[in-house]
Amino acid sequence: MKQAIRSRMVLVICLVLGALNLSGCVGARMGVSWPAIGLIDLYGETHITVAYNNDVAILSPANGAPARLISPIDGEVLRDSQNNPRTWILRGSENDGSQFFSAPIRLDDDTVLIADNNKRLLKVDSVILEVQRAYPLDDKVLTNSLVADDTIYVPFQNGGLSAISLQDFRLKWKLATDAGVWAQPLLVDDMLIVPSIDHFLYAVDSSTGARLWTADLGGAVASTPLHANGRLYVGSFNKSFFEISLDGAIMSTYATQNWVWGTPAIDEYGVIYVADLSGYVHALDSENGLRERWSVQIAERGIRAGPLVYGDRVIVASRDGKVYWLDRRDGQLLNAREIDERPELLGDMMLLEPGADLTIDEPLLLVSSVHDARLLIAFGVDGRQTWVYPR
Amino acid sequence: MWDIILNPFVTILAWLYAALNQDIVLAIVVLTVIIRILTFPLFAKQQESQKKMQQIQPQLKKLQEKYKGDKEKMSQAQMKLYRENKVNPVGGCFPMLIQFPILIGLYQAIFFALAATPFQLVDLSERLLIPGLDSLIPLQRMWSPIPQLTALLPELDLTLSPMENPTYALALPLLVLVTTWGQQKLTMSSVGQKPAKKDDDDGDGAGGQAAAMTKSMTTIMPIMFGFFSLSFSVGLSIYFVTSNLIGVVQYSPQGKQFLGRIFGRKSSEEAPVEVVFEDDEPVKKTRKRRKKKPRRK
Repeated sequence: MKQAIRSRMVLVICLVLGALNLSGCVGARMGVSWPAIGLIDLYGETHITVAYNNDVAILSPANGAPARLISPIDGEVLRDSQNNPRTWILRGSENDGSQFFSAPIRLDDDTVLIADNNKRLLKVDSVILEVQRAYPLDDKVLTNSLVADDTIYVPFQNGGLSAISLQDFRLKWKLATDAGVWAQPLLVDDMLIVPSIDHFLYAVDSSTGARLWTADLGGAVASTPLHANGRLYVGSFNKSFFEISLDGAIMSTYATQNWVWGTPAIDEYGVIYVADLSGYVHALDSENGLRERWSVQIAERGIRAGPLVYGDRVIVASRDGKVYWLDRRDGQLLNAREIDERPELLGDMMLLEPGADLTIDEPLLLVSSVHDARLLIAFGVDGRQTWVYPR
Repeated sequence: MWDIILNPFVTILAWLYAALNQDIVLAIVVLTVIIRILTFPLFAKQQESQKKMQQIQPQLKKLQEKYKGDKEKMSQAQMKLYRENKVNPVGGCFPMLIQFPILIGLYQAIFFALAATPFQLVDLSERLLIPGLDSLIPLQRMWSPIPQLTALLPELDLTLSPMENPTYALALPLLVLVTTWGQQKLTMSSVGQKPAKKDDDDGDGAGGQAAAMTKSMTTIMPIMFGFFSLSFSVGLSIYFVTSNLIGVVQYSPQGKQFLGRIFGRKSSEEAPVEVVFEDDEPVKKTRKRRKKKPRRK
């Protein structure tokens, strides 16, 4: 009897070890994407939105705390059954297991739209935080949608984009691509620019979906192009950065060290700043084609998000868990801040400046990581950490 | 650390993908075949060691009976038996320890190459060692077993599990189960282990226990792998099936003979050296002569 039990025990241990080995084999990278951040008007003030995995939250820019739900009738804070104040966090676990990688979009004072990774476009009552309706989509969504002229342009993880009317939520037109659209489309007048990881940049008529031109960039395009100087600037996975005319002709190319995944930044002198996944930052003159001003390897690991320009500095966040401030004239490192536990800083960055609707005293730099305890980190302009939003 | 093994595999897989008309399934199959052939000498060494251990089992059992209660003497006698037979009790582990990271590296390479989400794909940027392969990213993940019959057999998404693919993809976990079972069976017979019987137990329970374990593993392992394949991506299931089929060929006598010839290895047919002990002291050793096989006329 004892031997039989022992034999079973040994077998169970072997199976557990086998399962452990297999899970180890798969590696840790089982996630989908990184947080999507944005801004939204709520109760007459601008708030920060963050969508990642199972939650979408609306945060106060002053301290990073989730916004409290306020009754439109008496202006009092809404409370739950245990009399705790209710906060603006939409949980996927309470909504058919939704996963979110796309920032919410304000439809009107009481409604926001959120495209989820479960093929649905959710219409959410932003006052009582309840899903009013879920419109089915063709595919999963893992980047921000774009709203313009009563239309929402929804890009899909496995390819294509749908233009949906905001009046009746009916499909206006569809664009087919051979692979996913992993970056927010860009609207230039009536021309919708759609980057796809099928190596092409598509330009379509935003009202009809008629294709205007396509540009083969030789590698996956996973970032929203920058529109400046009457040109488009975008990088691809074939280690190249392109200047493209608005009729789809490649005007100039610059070779980077690795894939370019972030949207570039431009300063008032027309200098374009691009970061790549080898940790390099490149400054390029854009007056007559793309000419290198300086190029420095600043980070130990890749830089996924596009750089930001603030004053005389260029700011980048790397997969090595650090944020770097560079002198934009020569790329010299001015400051570096290491985030606790060095989480991969994969999500986009955002710079907020004090304004009438933005209740902050000083400019704020937002950096997003894939670490639940440090999902969103806010820095002052001097590199001092202001607040952290944990999920 | 893993990157040293993983990155070359990812690069070779991407290169094969480019060379084989951008067919990722063919690239997976070819790379698996190459790796399994290259690791054959290690595999053969491990097999040999296991076989030798199996051959001296009767003598080991005798020693266990003889020195019951005297662990020190028993261990000395065991060591002598190992020495005389040139058997290293952990000798089979070393080749396995080398093979293991190689096979895991191959498995991981397929996993990384079939990246389907931004979070997985961003890692690939650090893994391609040959310039020019970046322009192939993302690798084509839709695959049709018979391109002329896509109406009947729709394309499979290699990054998704069989459950999320067309129904016929459910045949893959079944194939994983069957081929794992086939390989297990051949493994047992090639190292001389017989299927467990109830009367295998020789009294101390050890023989029966081991036999029961072997039997359970032969049954449970294929079921476990088949079950896991339901949630693994189709691409990984293809790797498992290919790997198992190569295993079947390697473990079959004809396959072993063929590969042995390629790598210049001869299988050890020598009978084990019998060590005789008297009054707890070894007094003489004899080498059993191989029985001469009657010549064919």
